[in-house]
Formats: sequence, structure tokens, C-alpha cells
Amino acid sequence: MIVSLNWLKKYTNINLSIDDLTLLIGARLVEIEETVNIGEKYKDTVVAHVIEAKKMEGSDHLNVVLIDDGGQNKKVDRDSNGYIQVVCGASNIATGQNVVWLPPTSIVPSTYSSSEQFVLDSRSLRGVISNGMIASPKELDLSDEHEGILVLDSDIKSGTEFSKFLELDDYLLDIENKSLTHRPDCFGIVGFAREVSAIQGLKFNTPDWLLQGSKFQNNQINNPIDLQVIIDNSELSSRYAAVVMSDIDNTRQTPLIIQSYLSRIGIRPISAVVDVTNYLMMLTGQPLHAFDYDKLVAVSGGRPEIHVRAGRNGEKLELLDGRIISLSEEDIVIAAGETAIGLAGAMGGASTAIDKNTKNIIIESATFNLYNLRATQMRHGIFSEAITRFTKGQPAELSMPVLLEAIRLMGEWTNAKCVSKVVESYPVELTKSRIDFSINTVNSVLGSDIKSDLITRTLENVGFEVQLNKDGIIATAPYWRGDIHIVEDIIEEIGRLNGFDNINPTLPTRDFSASLVSHFDEFRSQIRKILVRSGANEVLTYNFIHGDVLRKSGQKESNSYKIINSISPDLQYYRQSLTPSLIGLVHPNIKQGHGNFALFELNKTHQKEMGLTEENVPVESDMIALVVANKNSQSGSAYYQAKKILDYLLQVLEIDLDYKTISNTNQDSLYAPFEYQRSARLVSGLNDLSIGIIGEYKKSVSKAFKLPDYAAGFEINVAELFELYQQKSTSYRQISRYPGSERDICFQIDNQITYSQIINAINDSLKKVELETSVAPVDIYQPDNGLIKNITVRIKMTSHDHTLTGDEVSAIVKSVSDSVVSSLRAKVI
Amino acid sequence: MQNIEDIGKKLLDMIARSDVPRDILKSPDIKKLYSNITQLPAEERGQYGRSVNELKVNLETAVLTREAELEDSTVEPLDVTAPWDVNSAPNRLLDTEQGTQHPLTTELENVVNIFTRMGFEAIESRQIDDDKHMFGTLNFHEDHPARDGYDTFRTEEGFIPPAHTSTMQNRILLSGKEKLESGGQIAAISYGRVFRNEDVDATHEHTFYQCEGVFVSETANLGQMLGTLRSFFETYYGQKLKIKTQPAYFPFVEPGLEFAIEKPAALGGKPGEWLEMLGCGMIHPNVLMAADIDPTKYRGFAWGGGIERLVMLKYGIEDLRHFESGKIQFLRKFK
Repeated sequence: MIVSLNWLKKYTNINLSIDDLTLLIGARLVEIEETVNIGEKYKDTVVAHVIEAKKMEGSDHLNVVLIDDGGQNKKVDRDSNGYIQVVCGASNIATGQNVVWLPPTSIVPSTYSSSEQFVLDSRSLRGVISNGMIASPKELDLSDEHEGILVLDSDIKSGTEFSKFLELDDYLLDIENKSLTHRPDCFGIVGFAREVSAIQGLKFNTPDWLLQGSKFQNNQINNPIDLQVIIDNSELSSRYAAVVMSDIDNTRQTPLIIQSYLSRIGIRPISAVVDVTNYLMMLTGQPLHAFDYDKLVAVSGGRPEIHVRAGRNGEKLELLDGRIISLSEEDIVIAAGETAIGLAGAMGGASTAIDKNTKNIIIESATFNLYNLRATQMRHGIFSEAITRFTKGQPAELSMPVLLEAIRLMGEWTNAKCVSKVVESYPVELTKSRIDFSINTVNSVLGSDIKSDLITRTLENVGFEVQLNKDGIIATAPYWRGDIHIVEDIIEEIGRLNGFDNINPTLPTRDFSASLVSHFDEFRSQIRKILVRSGANEVLTYNFIHGDVLRKSGQKESNSYKIINSISPDLQYYRQSLTPSLIGLVHPNIKQGHGNFALFELNKTHQKEMGLTEENVPVESDMIALVVANKNSQSGSAYYQAKKILDYLLQVLEIDLDYKTISNTNQDSLYAPFEYQRSARLVSGLNDLSIGIIGEYKKSVSKAFKLPDYAAGFEINVAELFELYQQKSTSYRQISRYPGSERDICFQIDNQITYSQIINAINDSLKKVELETSVAPVDIYQPDNGLIKNITVRIKMTSHDHTLTGDEVSAIVKSVSDSVVSSLRAKVI
Repeated sequence: MQNIEDIGKKLLDMIARSDVPRDILKSPDIKKLYSNITQLPAEERGQYGRSVNELKVNLETAVLTREAELEDSTVEPLDVTAPWDVNSAPNRLLDTEQGTQHPLTTELENVVNIFTRMGFEAIESRQIDDDKHMFGTLNFHEDHPARDGYDTFRTEEGFIPPAHTSTMQNRILLSGKEKLESGGQIAAISYGRVFRNEDVDATHEHTFYQCEGVFVSETANLGQMLGTLRSFFETYYGQKLKIKTQPAYFPFVEPGLEFAIEKPAALGGKPGEWLEMLGCGMIHPNVLMAADIDPTKYRGFAWGGGIERLVMLKYGIEDLRHFESGKIQFLRKFK
């Protein structure tokens, strides 16, 4: 929203520099995004008198004009009488006019803000020197009118600065609308000026016509038109007022200064009738609409009868902009008799539009249900100044004073007369909000020490009625403050208008009890640090993925929550696991020259199959996933590289997990991207629960994600991992004073026997001896035939009460070997 | 018709034995079946065409099955329990110097840590929630225009990827109510991911991180809120800071403010330069009532701000899109 400083000054004193004012408005009312000095644009523009205008020889449209600028310009060439020669192509130029002259070196105002400014000079046109130009309203950025030059009243002195004459030595404030969503009053100059007054600590005098209404002149009482307005459903509109005016003089124009105010804030002047409605909307925040009376009566079959009703399904309406829309029951419609003639609050209809021949009009001033209008706005894509204001909730009380002022201005600017009574439908009058509160409440919420008289003054400055009683204050909100309901709203006003920054910052007091830390957060932080230490890079990727990513990963779309209003197909579905997002990053990073890396992410995943929580919201799973990849093939499978990292993580966390095979019938979507024959379920020995997966990816997945041959990863439920972490027991055994002994044993086994079977068999056997023991792998060899493998392990034994003898060690090793040989049909070699 | 069945049988058999089953879909037999259609009497074409199409679908399915079978049979199973692969050296971890933590999680840990030391408990924000928590319990009237400002995504079921961490506020209030009513205070933060349906560019993201704080006691006031926030930022930047505010409208607070700090020297700030950091305000009575807390007895303040901004200012990061890009080039800058 654009606010003109000069327009504000018509309603309130401003005794601050523009910079100080901007700061104060920012601190106490609303953010100003930008201030623009439009005076700059008209810096050199002056009013000049046409001494002589005559046709240029040899041209059918050019005139050679002599003008008097009152001697203002010091650089331009003049004739012996001191007049300046300008060539002008406008057909309406004539001797004796007052016009607007743009001298050489000045910039044409309409091009001032554009990337290509048009700078004037003195140049020869067909051998005749032209100094600068005489400007049209369009070139002055006043309206779209460019048929002829702007002709000013005759009583203006030559040499008057144009910007002074039209009060264009002005600043425009670009206001951040969003934080005024609850303040419809601030969408009009008067309301904004009231705030600007109050934040300076000044009392604001609301114009009488807004409080009581203009004096209504009924010019045609003898035979008035019997205008009827009926609100069919009071939920759609709380007030609808209208009047018929006749005998519009279409030759009359809106005063130039009003046109200039409208155009500087972005409203193009159109005709006096339309300008009245726009001017009052920008001034008060109350949108108005004018219908062509004769067209309306023709539509309704002769009766001047207006209804406010809901749209009907299938009903069609042609709007002012030529679009034909289909109405719904949520739209509010203005109807002439039975026929829809306008989309209430949004846009008028084509059938009753004002045109240059309009003689008689109906002016509407009303309020409509803002929720219906919001729906209408979205459905039909209408974002006009009017609907922007209506959807903030303009008060019904405002409608009548603004209508009466419109009647006055319509008379003044177009000579129109009222030919009906001012009629209205006002089914439910609203009651004013009265808030009873104590001064102590104000100060205890703000942490301030504001006295009673300042509170009173502050509220009165913005139009509240304030009564003091022995317990405190009763404040009655003015009709334009529909946002005031509870004492907190009053407290906000008091704090804000006096400056929140004047409140002394303090700290709450609290006891010394330690706040609880989240052990789960600490656990996740620990995982991050361990994985970083293992050389991996933490990434964060989006929760939402394209349907293709699900399909490429072998996951079912039906298991994903689907986003229905996404701006992009890349954000269609909630992801079911982290792995697809991570493996999607492998190829792009390899392309950027990274050959060997691991990426991990800790984040939440969502699957429909997981169901809902007690709060009836989807279950969330906290997951940790990692992918490790090398663009060059390596000896050995990538699986073991991922396992190395996971083993390291688990070892630091002191969590034991078993790696178990997966059946090819497993339907878990977490498992979907993984090749089951080269992956393992991660199972806790404590409760035999699978909490994740580690492995290489399916060939189809690798191909779809362009993964290198050497790629593997894991994904684990962190919450379940945390459970195990919390259950682990911390045990410490004293260091033995006696040296330990080590022996290597090499077992030859069938290829089907797993490494863990060997280790488990050894450990089972070692349990029988009362020694501290450990078993570690040394070598895993497989001959070319692939039928057998040799696993060499190193067994370390330590006694806590004596040094083990060679015989003792041999005996233990033999017993271990025997038991492995017999249980796994192994061979010791 | 018999013809179709025979050809179908033959092709299915070929697929079941082929090493490149997809090639069989290009068989001239199929083309011939299609070309036959035009030569049939019009009344037979429909039925015939349907049968051919049905066959085509069956063949496709067979190809997929065979392809999966082939893939399976070419896969060499692993001993998933072994520490390393057969005939290979033990695997080693990657170079530890390459490892990096994401700057956003580093900063979140830092922020959470300061608030925890100040006495706030931390909970992570949900990533999918309902209208009740996102808006309903936060004094957003249904259809209220303020909802527009949040540009929320929605799922088919009407769930919402939360657009602010305030989605946890009602839960925080409910779980702290008992402590509050037995003479204590509610002091908690919620942090995590939030989502807005926005086009992505250097300064806009549909996915970003926020941290939200809630404090409720019998004596909480706006001055305490300003002091608490100033104290946080002074700790965070390790220096004294000036603060200023600006009125703002959020339905869940009254009064509502935007909070700014004078740009710290550590960030190259000069006096008079301000950084807008967060939105804040006194918790609206309706929000307290939604958690069954008596607003005449207790008052609270709350605030919420973005994490990306802190990180971008700290490192001079120019483009918001880097954070979720997963580019190693970017990630390894944060050692």
C-alpha cells in the first residue's frame, strides 16, 4: 500500500523529518518498505504561459510556440522578449493557455522511474529549434491521457514550480500491508493519519463528516425515485446503502489536484464519477461502487430494486473486465431484480458499467462478509484495491458517512443531484466494544510503569472514549476499531503508541534447578560427531520428493502422504525413507569431481502404513541413513565399506547389533531400494527386533540413480537405536597383571557357513574357560572355485591369577578347534 | 483368436527362457497381430483389439518378472556377517579430515544449547501435523486472512507440513500445565523444520528451520521477553547488543512484535544497522485457554525465528539453496 505524506498532512500535523517519521512509524505502527521522494521527478517542471502558438510551415500538425516561464530557467536560449521557443505537436495548444513546460536537461516524469529515462534537450525539428517540451498529462505521470497537452487554469503565475502547484513535492511511503491485516482503518488515509498523529503523542480530530456524516441535500424531494435495497441473507452483508443521482455532467473533470493525488498512489483517474468512488476509498478505506442507473433499470425490468444475495450454481456473470465467470453459492452477488449485475465487493458487471454517456447513477456503499469475499477472491483471482479493503473487514458504521460524502463530492465534481432518498438495509446494528481494565493490568503485562493520565490520553488520541472509575478505566472503542475485543488489545495500543522500545528489558527470575536436557538430542548429536569423524558429510535433504523417486526406489506411492497443492512436481510426496534422497545425491557429486565419499542424514520419515498417533497425526520415524560410494571399482564389495562405518559407529556407541539375512519376500518400504542378497537386517540381540538395514542397492535402483558399482549404505531407526543405547550396561573389568597369549587358527569351511557362525562357535566354546578372551579376524580367503573359504582368527586369552603356560593355551585352542570343527563341519588348516 | 493364444503362448515361453526378454516385445509376431485388425470385419475388430492389448500387458508383466529373475540369479549373495570381503584387505574408514557436520545442525545445536543453559527445555518440532495444532489452537479463526500469509502445503488427508514451529506450542503448554499450576513455570523451546509453499530462489526456500520459545508464569511480562531475547543474542554473539522492536500482527500473540538487534561487530556491523531476527509477543489469552491454562492467572510470552539467517550472517552465505543441495563442495566448507 502506498501512502502520500502530503495527503497525510491534510489530516494531521507532522513535525518530523521524513527519516525520523519513517523510524517512528516503523517502531510504533508498521514497517515501511521504502520511501520515495517524488518531488525529484518534477524538479525542473514549471508552469508557463503560451504567448503565441502558430502552425509550423510545411507541417500538418506541428506548432511553433513561444512561452513565458517567468524567467525561471537560466540556461535556455530566449528571444529578444525573453520568450522561449518550443515545438509542440498537440492539437489543443492555443495562445493564452497556461501549460506545463519541461525544460532541456529535465527528465520526462513518466520515464523517471523506468530503466530508460527520457532526457530532454534543445534540438532542431525541421530546422526550427525546440527547447524541451510542453507536457501531456501522461508525460507528467498524472493519467493515461496523451491526446493533448495539459492545460491549466488561467490564474496560475508563469514560472510557478509545477510540483508546488499540485503538491507534488511529496514522499510516498510503501507500507508492508501484511502486519495491518487486522486494521482495516489503516487502509484509508484518515485512519493512517490518526495513527501517525497518535504515535507523535498528538490528539487526532476525525473529520466531522466521518463521525456524523455530511449534511444530506435531498434535491428532488417532490418526485423521488423509489429505490429499494434488500439484503436477502444478513450473513452475506451487514449493511447496504445506496442512492440515485442524476444529471451527470460528463464534460466536467475531477479537480486536477485530486487526479494528481490518485495517480501518485497508483490509481489512474478515469472520470469524475469513478474518481469520486476511488478517492473516497483511498481516503476512508470504504470501497464504493457506481452503477449506470438506466442500464440497471433496464436489466431489472423497470424496477430500481437491488438485492444482495448468494450466487446460484451455474449462474453466469460478465464482469467489467469482459470476463464471463460462473458463480458459486459462496459468491455474494448484487442483483437488479432477479439478474446478477455485480460480484459484490470484488468487481462490477459489464451490464451496468459506467461509460462516457452515463447520465444517471446509483452509488453503493456497503459491507460484505469478508470470508465469502476471500473465497471469491481466490476462486476468481480478483485482487483489486476494493476487495483488499473489504477482506480486512470494514465496519458497517463507515458505509453511511462515506456515502453521504460521496453525494456531496458527486454534486461538486459532476453537478449530479440526488433523485432518491438515501436508502439502506442494515439488519443487525453492531454494538461498540467496551473494555473495563485496571492500570495495574496494563503495567503487569507490559512490565512498564505507565500512569493513568498517559493511558487516558493515548487512547483518546486514537478516538477511544475513556471513563475513569475508582478501580480503573473503561474504554469504548470507536466504530472503526473492530479489532478491539479484550484487554490485551487495549494493552497493545498503549504499549505500541508509547513505544515498546521504552519498556525496560528485564529477565524472568527462576530457581537454580537445572533444566532437563534431551538425551535423545544428545544421542543424535553424538552420532553426527562419530560419523563426521569417520569421514562422512552430513546433508539435509527435502521431506518431499517426486513420484518418480518413489518408483525408482521400488516404493509404493500409496504409502506416501501426498501433497495436493504443491508448486512443483518435485514436491509431490512425503518420503518414506531417507535412502532415496541420499542415493539421489551420489551421481551429481561424482559429476562434480568427488570420487570417494560418504553422505549421511538424520531426519524424520513418514509412511501411511505406520498409522496415526494418539493425537491422530501421522507417526513420524526418526532415521539415520548413510550412503558410501566410490566412482572407481574397489577390491571387495561396497557392502563391507558401509559395514565398516556402521561397525565403527556401533562400537563407539557401545551398541551390539546382529547382521541377519533378509528374505526376498520382505515388503518393508525401508528395504525396497536394497538388494536382499547383499544386505542385512540389523537386529538387536536384546529383543530380536529389526531396527534397520545395511546393504548394496538393487541393480534397477543403481541404474535409475546412476550409482557407481561401488555403492552401499544403511538406514536405521534412531529412536530404537537410542532405546538400545539406554539399555546398555557399563561394565569394567580390571586390567590383568599377567600377560596374555595369542593364537591364530585358520578354519576351512563350506562357503555357506557365515563368519558370525564361526565367531559364535568360538565364543561359545571360550565361555567354558574362566579367562578374559577376545577373538578378531585376521584373514578371509576364498579359492577361485568359490565352494569353500578359509577364515583365520586370532584368539587372545588372559588369566587374572597367573601367566598361562603354553600347554594351557594349546589345550584351550584345541578345545575351541574341536568344537568348531564338530559344530560347523570345519577343518583346521 | 486361436492365433492370438498360440502366439501368446510361444512368446511367453520365449520370454521365460530369454536372457534379454525385453527384445521379445519387439517381435514381428506382435506387429502382425496389430496389422491384422484392419483386415477384420468391423464387428470383430473390437474384441480382437482387446485381446491383443491384453496379450501385450501379459507379455510386459512376464518381461518384468523374467528381468527380476535374471537380476536375482546374477546377484552373488554376500556373507553379511563378515568384517570384510573374501580375499580383500580389511576396510578402512574414509579420511577423517573429509568429514563435516551440516552448518544448520551445528547452529541448531548451538542455539538449543544456549537456551538449555538459560533454563529452557528443548523439543523437536513435528514435520507433519494437523490444522488444530498449526492454526486452531493458535487463535487463527478458520478462513482468517492471516492464514494466507503462511502458504501452507496440504496432504490429501488434510494434514499440514507445519509452516511454523508454533505448531508445538499447544503441546508445550499442555505438558507444562501441571508444573505451572504447582508453582513452577513453563520454559521450553521447539526447533525444527518448517515448510512454505513458495518458489525457491536465493532468498526463498520451501523448507527451512525455525526455533520457537515459550515462557509462561504468574508474572511474565513484555519487558522480560525483551530481556530474555536480548540475553540470548548477547550470549550468541558474545557481546552487548542494542535491541529494537516493531509492531507486528500474529494472531497467537497480543501484543505482537518484530524484534531486531543492532548488527554485531562480529558481523561487521556499524551503529545504526539493524538485523530483524524474529517475531515475538505476549501469548494471546485464547492460546492459553486452548491448553486449559487460566489467562487471568498466568501470562506468557513466545517468539520464533529462522535458523538459516543466523548461519548465513555468520558465514556470509549468499544463497539459501545451498543448504539442502547436498553438494559436497558446499558441505566441506564447514570443517
